[in-house]
Amino acid sequence: MARTYLFIPGNVPRMLQNADVFEADALIIDLEDAIATYEKDEARELTAQFLRAHRPQGVEVYVRINAEEPLFSKDMKALAPLEIDGVVLPKTTLSSLKAYEAYQDQFDAKLPLIGLIETPEAFFELLQIAKFSLVKGLILGAEDLSAATGMHRDENGQELLFCRSKLLLAAKAAGIRAIDTPWTTLEEASLSLDIQSAKRLGFDGKCAIHPNQVPSINDAFFPTEEELRKARRIVKRHEETNSMRFSLDGKMVDKPVVEKAKALLESAEAYRFKRGKGQ
Amino acid sequence: MGKSYVAGTLESSDCLITLSPADKLKIEIDTVVHEAFYDHIKTLIEKTLAEESLENVRLRCQDQGALDYTIKARLKTAILKYKESEDG
Repeated sequence: MARTYLFIPGNVPRMLQNADVFEADALIIDLEDAIATYEKDEARELTAQFLRAHRPQGVEVYVRINAEEPLFSKDMKALAPLEIDGVVLPKTTLSSLKAYEAYQDQFDAKLPLIGLIETPEAFFELLQIAKFSLVKGLILGAEDLSAATGMHRDENGQELLFCRSKLLLAAKAAGIRAIDTPWTTLEEASLSLDIQSAKRLGFDGKCAIHPNQVPSINDAFFPTEEELRKARRIVKRHEETNSMRFSLDGKMVDKPVVEKAKALLESAEAYRFKRGKGQ
Repeated sequence: MGKSYVAGTLESSDCLITLSPADKLKIEIDTVVHEAFYDHIKTLIEKTLAEESLENVRLRCQDQGALDYTIKARLKTAILKYKESEDG
């Protein structure tokens, strides 16, 4: 499970070919907002040639496509033969998902997608979006959402609480990833507050718009020593008692808590294995 | 001289391809790695032009240390613009 989803513009060779050194767990190569209209063809071709020749290893790779025609079809056609983990679909709604699925059916393809939830409309159909067959995760797109609603973001994130919570619950109900919106300044203190808001709610990871944001997000979404210690004790007691229901430190532990502890230890192990992080 | 079709940039690791109609094929390559890679870049450009069945063009490649995938991508985009204009 990826912690950090780093956006990389699809038209800058030096960024593309260095993308795997930034230590993000996932890359989102951007053909949409980061690319000017007159550069769309260049970015699409460069991204396709790059992924054909030098697909980064040990990292998930997604491409944020353009949702409007004719760019949508051109992007999809260029990406179809490539080995990617999926696309990020901007301004995802139920109707755009149906169009995406129809396009996939035409070519007998099943390329998964992460839905970018950034319109007010999408929040009224969120559970259906999350349960749509090709959707493997949801990203909150707070910048476009702010523009559409007049919302004013700050590092405390109170204005986003409802949207974050609703997206998180829909993703968890569907068993898919909940990925938090990027924080758009590079200032460390406000980034840290924004990351903690997402982590406390239960998000699985967060987008980054600059490589400098990656270490903070990776560290924040890596379990703390206290969390790991507690999880190890829960799993140990579960194994000793061979039960999903027991008492630990005066608190009742049941099946969801045991499963959460196991999942936490597994993800910590995966992150350590991936980056050679210490014990 | 006819219209030119351009793709790429002069930023590091990129290249700028300029393509224009001509009576016969003419390729100019300015590269920061001339000694080591001039022949390699020329072969790559000739191969890509052949794949796209393009012969009578003047092509200028201003290379800033681009890898093959970048040169190929920029060239294919310039060719796309050229063909779209010719067709249109």
